[in-house]
Amino acid sequence: MAKLETYKPIQARVAPKDPIKIKSDTLRKLLKDKRAVVCILFLVIVALIGILAPLLAPFDPEEQFYESILQGPSKEHLLGTDAIGRDVLSRLVYGVRVTLTVSMLAVAITFFLGTFIGLLSAYVGGWLDNVLMRIMDILLALPSIILALAIVAILGPSLTNAMIAVGVASIPGFARLIRGAALSIKSSGFVEASRSIGSSHSWILRRQFLPNVAGVLLVYTTLFIGVAILDTAALSFIGLGAQPPTPEWGTMLSEGKNYMYDAWWLATFPGIAITIVVFSVNFLGDALRDIFDPKSTR
Amino acid sequence: MTTTLLELKSVEKKFAAKSAWFQSKQFVHAVNGVSFELNERETIGIVGESGCGKSTTGRCVLRLIEPTSGEVIFQGKDITKLNKNEINQIRKNIQMVFQDPMASMNPKLTIREILSEPLIAHKIPRSEHEKLLSETVKLVGLSENYLARFPHEMSGGQRQRIGIARAIILKPKIVILDEPVSALDVSVQSQILNLLQDLQEELGLSYLFISHDLGVVEHVAHRVGVMYLGEMVEIANKEELFENPLHPYTKALISAIPKTDPDEVKERITLKGELPSPSNPPTGCKFHPRCIFAQDICKTSKPEIREVEGRKVACHLV
Repeated sequence: MAKLETYKPIQARVAPKDPIKIKSDTLRKLLKDKRAVVCILFLVIVALIGILAPLLAPFDPEEQFYESILQGPSKEHLLGTDAIGRDVLSRLVYGVRVTLTVSMLAVAITFFLGTFIGLLSAYVGGWLDNVLMRIMDILLALPSIILALAIVAILGPSLTNAMIAVGVASIPGFARLIRGAALSIKSSGFVEASRSIGSSHSWILRRQFLPNVAGVLLVYTTLFIGVAILDTAALSFIGLGAQPPTPEWGTMLSEGKNYMYDAWWLATFPGIAITIVVFSVNFLGDALRDIFDPKSTR
Repeated sequence: MTTTLLELKSVEKKFAAKSAWFQSKQFVHAVNGVSFELNERETIGIVGESGCGKSTTGRCVLRLIEPTSGEVIFQGKDITKLNKNEINQIRKNIQMVFQDPMASMNPKLTIREILSEPLIAHKIPRSEHEKLLSETVKLVGLSENYLARFPHEMSGGQRQRIGIARAIILKPKIVILDEPVSALDVSVQSQILNLLQDLQEELGLSYLFISHDLGVVEHVAHRVGVMYLGEMVEIANKEELFENPLHPYTKALISAIPKTDPDEVKERITLKGELPSPSNPPTGCKFHPRCIFAQDICKTSKPEIREVEGRKVACHLV
């Protein structure tokens, strides 16, 4: 060792620590993006509304006011009442809970199974990749809402089954995207280096693949939340998702469509709610994509 | 008395080329019957043009690419016949340094995490990690505060030092160096080469040094093997090979090294024509279409590698 210790080690310059520096690079970039900040704030407010629904809603969502059926927006019922005298605002506020939980759980299904299939397919390759991707291709040939319809038809209409259906129907698209991202990592030098070191497969997947697909995962998960909200509402609209009297936005829309000419407020407010939430989720997804993939053009 | 550590016996690798349906399968013969042995504390340089199969040969040793046939014998065992667990044991003793240090490191991990990978893969107890990490980093001439950095925060030379540190942290017997300095500036190249030589002395390593740069190989290798289109055409001690090359291809390569003395008159052999496609190699001696000494026999029969004056050459005319 004597000879080598005569080397004067090259000293690394240590940057002085900035006390208020935001640690995560991603978060810092995200906060610079105005539309992302607006969307995040809005979504946080929406989530809070859902959590605090019992405090915020003026009435019980299932309470019926027989003396004020199909009343337009008034001082007492800010967004009016529906055909059996329930307060639209209260139903809308409680609907946040249903919409957010169902779409989050649906996306969780997509996220775990889609990531698993995508990574497995890319990493193992060969015939397994072929088989898995051909199955995904067949499922992709159907629009996700048709696929979800088929799944609900098999499982029977209920909110839980709609959630499963929406989650499963998004898997093919998600798995394909993750497979694409993983393939580029598979051919990279550091995966080969890992193999030459003798690391186990699970280690390579966890430490080499996951950190590098995390950005892509985050972007697509966010974008898929928007799809999930829309698909759940759509299933409920045609009566295959949430069953009345559950205050779900899609169901409310469906109930309101019969009174479009007499009571415009019934369908309009849930429609606006769905639109704005999906809009901000998608905007947030776009902002995230710009951060993780600066090369992609808008 | 030198002991043989690693022995390659007619290693072959065929890659299946894309072929249309119902067409007979096409193969690219990337490595075609390469044999050589690597002794303890020795550096063997493998040189050749791009695409001659030198990197593939190196990867076949670690079975990063599965050889089609042939034997790779390490410590009396044929590596090509081992199962997954056994091959991982071998990988503890044979490590690899890659050409591009940036590409061979995960950009999302710190140097500490990158260097810990071999320790975790081979189940070194956690209590020893810290000591090994700081020891190895110092061994490659860096200080411990580099451990907290990311690969992109370092220069190319420093990154390659980390690449080397990762390969030697388990104290292997053999390190396969696949163009370890080709991606670096000339000034940094010499530092890294000197570091490699010092490490060889300190740790008793054997190197399989793959390079296209004859100057670099002349500097570090004890013996040199010259490859052409997947075949080993000449293996000799460095001095002999550079003083008196026997194979016409080696002669051409050596004559192409720039001379430091401008007045020195040296006959230069210029190779004519392109490197033939390995999927459709020439008949007989693969070098004959470009060889200035080619005879009729070279077109029809393939010269086997044989001992000539204590070295090995594959040429009819020697």
